[in-house]
Amino acid sequence: MQPNPSKLPTHPPHHKTLKFSNMTQSFISLPQELQLATSAHVKYIQSLDSRKDEYDYWLTEHLRLNGLYWGLTALHLLGHPEALPRAETIDFVLSCQHENGGFGAAPGHDAHMLSTVSAVQILAMVDAFDDLETRGRGKAQVGKYIASLQNRQTGTFAGDEWGEEDTRFLYGAFNALSLLGLLHLVDVDKAVDHIAACANFDGGYGVSPGAESHSGQIFTCVAALTIAGRKDLIDVDRLGRWLSERQIAGGGLNGRPEKKEDVCYSWWVLSSLEMIGKTHWIDKEKLTNFILSSQDTDKGGISDRPGDMVDVWHTCFGIAGLSLLDYPGLEPVDEVYCMPKSTIKRVLGR
Amino acid sequence: MRHWLLTSFVTLFVSFCNPMTANQCVQQGPRSALRPHHFPLSNHLITMPPKGKAATKPKATETPATTTSNPTTTNTTRQTASQPSEPTTVLERSQQRYEKTRPFEAARQQKGLSKLFKEDQKGWICDQLLHLTNRLPAASRSSLLGPKASKEIWWTVNGTNSIVRGLKHKPEPYTTWGTDRNGHDVGSYTIERFDERFRKRIALTALQVSSRVFRENVEREKRGFVDARSGREIIVTEREIDEEKVRRSKMAVLKKDLYGAITGRLAESVEWEDVVPIPHEEPEGALAAITYPAEYAEAMSYLRAVMTTKEYSPRCLRLTEHIIAMNPAHYTVWLYRAANIFALGISIPDEIEWLNEVALANLKNYQIWHHRHLLVEHYYPTISSDPEALAQFAKQERDFLIAILSEDTKNYHVWSYRSWLVGKLGMWEDEEELKSIEKMIDEDVRNNSAWSHRFVLVFSNPKYATPGKAATEKDEKVPQELVDREVKYAQSKAFLAPQNQSPWNYMRGVLVKGGQPLASVQGFGEEFVNKLGEGEEEEEVKSTHALDLLAEIYAEKKDNEKADLCLRRLAEKWDKIRGGYWEWRRKCLTQSETEKAPGEQVEEAEEGSAAV
Repeated sequence: MQPNPSKLPTHPPHHKTLKFSNMTQSFISLPQELQLATSAHVKYIQSLDSRKDEYDYWLTEHLRLNGLYWGLTALHLLGHPEALPRAETIDFVLSCQHENGGFGAAPGHDAHMLSTVSAVQILAMVDAFDDLETRGRGKAQVGKYIASLQNRQTGTFAGDEWGEEDTRFLYGAFNALSLLGLLHLVDVDKAVDHIAACANFDGGYGVSPGAESHSGQIFTCVAALTIAGRKDLIDVDRLGRWLSERQIAGGGLNGRPEKKEDVCYSWWVLSSLEMIGKTHWIDKEKLTNFILSSQDTDKGGISDRPGDMVDVWHTCFGIAGLSLLDYPGLEPVDEVYCMPKSTIKRVLGR
Repeated sequence: MRHWLLTSFVTLFVSFCNPMTANQCVQQGPRSALRPHHFPLSNHLITMPPKGKAATKPKATETPATTTSNPTTTNTTRQTASQPSEPTTVLERSQQRYEKTRPFEAARQQKGLSKLFKEDQKGWICDQLLHLTNRLPAASRSSLLGPKASKEIWWTVNGTNSIVRGLKHKPEPYTTWGTDRNGHDVGSYTIERFDERFRKRIALTALQVSSRVFRENVEREKRGFVDARSGREIIVTEREIDEEKVRRSKMAVLKKDLYGAITGRLAESVEWEDVVPIPHEEPEGALAAITYPAEYAEAMSYLRAVMTTKEYSPRCLRLTEHIIAMNPAHYTVWLYRAANIFALGISIPDEIEWLNEVALANLKNYQIWHHRHLLVEHYYPTISSDPEALAQFAKQERDFLIAILSEDTKNYHVWSYRSWLVGKLGMWEDEEELKSIEKMIDEDVRNNSAWSHRFVLVFSNPKYATPGKAATEKDEKVPQELVDREVKYAQSKAFLAPQNQSPWNYMRGVLVKGGQPLASVQGFGEEFVNKLGEGEEEEEVKSTHALDLLAEIYAEKKDNEKADLCLRRLAEKWDKIRGGYWEWRRKCLTQSETEKAPGEQVEEAEEGSAAV
């Protein structure tokens, strides 16, 4: 709760601050029984690939395989893994693979780290690593491709031969390689050093050394450190504090100080808190209500905040967030991999 | 088949003839002395006896001595008596023409052959015979009908004024002329419209012929052919290229008009003549197939082609620009553009100028900033030894960054780039940079990005900072004056918006850097809190961060009671949403003897809701 405004000699109120208090008002008036519209969400995800003629569809072609991962994860967590046809899913994923082992975002697209990671995650969820061996280029080749993207001097990972570097790619590499059992192909220690260099004065992590702390980047750094078994490098108290401050009056979480709340941060922030064992440092009930209010209960899907257009990205992370919040009826999600815990148990045996 | 048909018609015809004639018809009679080629209609089986001349050995009982008597013309059942109305469409016109060549056909269809008058029946049969035998080779023609039969047929044909050469196929809607670009039957066009279409087709053909000549010349030029007459090498002149461009656009217009065919801009262009585009192959029934807009699909197919051949040229550069305009998030096209820029030695400042426009139009795009990063990496070695050039470039960059940040003050990509640029160009001592950041904070004290950038600017300055030192580590080399200055700055800004977390985080970070204890700012913190714990009405808390800070300071000083009060009031009233955190802090107080140092792993999360 904010200190009483009338007693503060404030800087002219930021327009965003005013909006927050309006939002608080609207939450008070919400019905208590806000439910998760499971079947609507399932239908929404299933309908996604039939919107091929929509303008936005081809503009987001560079995200196609990633989109499939988001949709499939959401379905698995909703308890409907069969809602997307398994055989076609595997066929599609494998059709995106290149000779070098990497996967492009869609058939004919050049290989990239992000789509490769999504591909591995999808295949893990539908239990199709065998198909990767027999019909695809095989796990070893995928591992080779990912490993080739590491800069052995700095430990960082590029997204593709173009060289864009981002801690997202580092996390992606660790994620996919550990699922394939090939983490030893890369220099883990150097990568860990790089993450440590991205730690900021406020306790958070940025995209590269010196860059502003950002919830998304924090997730990638913390998750990568978790996979590498180096959580000891995290200043848990400072980071936890910074993360807890992401929750604003409406109950939602933002990505950085003084920014708008957004459902996808329900995942990035919450899973980071889970990894350092501090989820009780935010108000779970308020967050749950915020996510549920951002649903489209008629047509399905979740948006970034109440009233906005839905998309599969926010649907995935909204549901993953609810799973972390122990919302009833959802499959437990693994906070490091953003995949069902059952999949991780099957693949990694833990 | 024809032969059979012919003989059956002959039989039918024979039955109409005089028995004697009939007899002779089926025999192979002696051939007429007159050969077919003597007469204008010479390629017919039946030799037509010349009008008005002496008949050649007529065997038929009824001699067609003159053609004047025409017994059948008076026959009122003749179909061709009634004049048809003027045709409005080409289909009607052709149909009328067709019917004219088959004058008895309409009647026969209407009434049936048996119901027609005898003369009409005969007339119909003759027509059929004519049309069937029209195109037979000479040898078969002469063997099928004897001269008597021929004469009989000709006499009838002459009498009925049939048309010897008829239209072979009945005109049908849709099939005869096809459809136009809207799917309408061209046969339904009016005569004028049809003629116009015909003229356009001729025009298109003419253009295509000229275009082919041009393309052949281009090919010849490439191979170094020499013109046979002049002895000079063939060159394609600028004028010819311009003419071809005009021609191509005319062809595209005509094709679209006539057939609805859209010629892609690139396929039409002279510039891309020699490139074979590689279309996108999508597997049948793919799970997430995409329908691309035609222009984008075309451009991508050309991109694939030139990327395969690794061509770096001005036209490729233009192509990347074209694609980026349609889909700036396509990472491959940026990669290829960068390769072109470097291969062609394009001026980096020029490219950056272009990039600025794209950046302003696509604020959320990652690729643009990585591209810029690559450009600067490439450009830097050329100016690194020239301080003036460096300063100039730094200024240009800053000016643009300020402009784009005014559109989106917290754009993460822009700020990350800016922080990187400081290190790359060594801008730590640049007063303008610091001033610019201060201005942004003045405009919006809540801009966390600006605060973050300030930290980088101040504390990674190699003049006094230890290189490679982590942001979270104390650095002895940092001068005390600097630490004091930064703490003061943060504090001054905290007063402007006490609940804004940025200056509080900043201040803490500075204290850590300078190795200064938190307690040194206790007084500052206490300015934001008044009468804590003295009752709901009395209590004044202007900033929860102040309370947080004070709690920590009191705990460090082992004043647990005061610390607990702060934390309790935060959990109870001032920051209820983070109740779980404050409660945990309170617990830590009671465990203060065994409290773990920061950085070590903490035990399992405490259960319990955050709501107090």
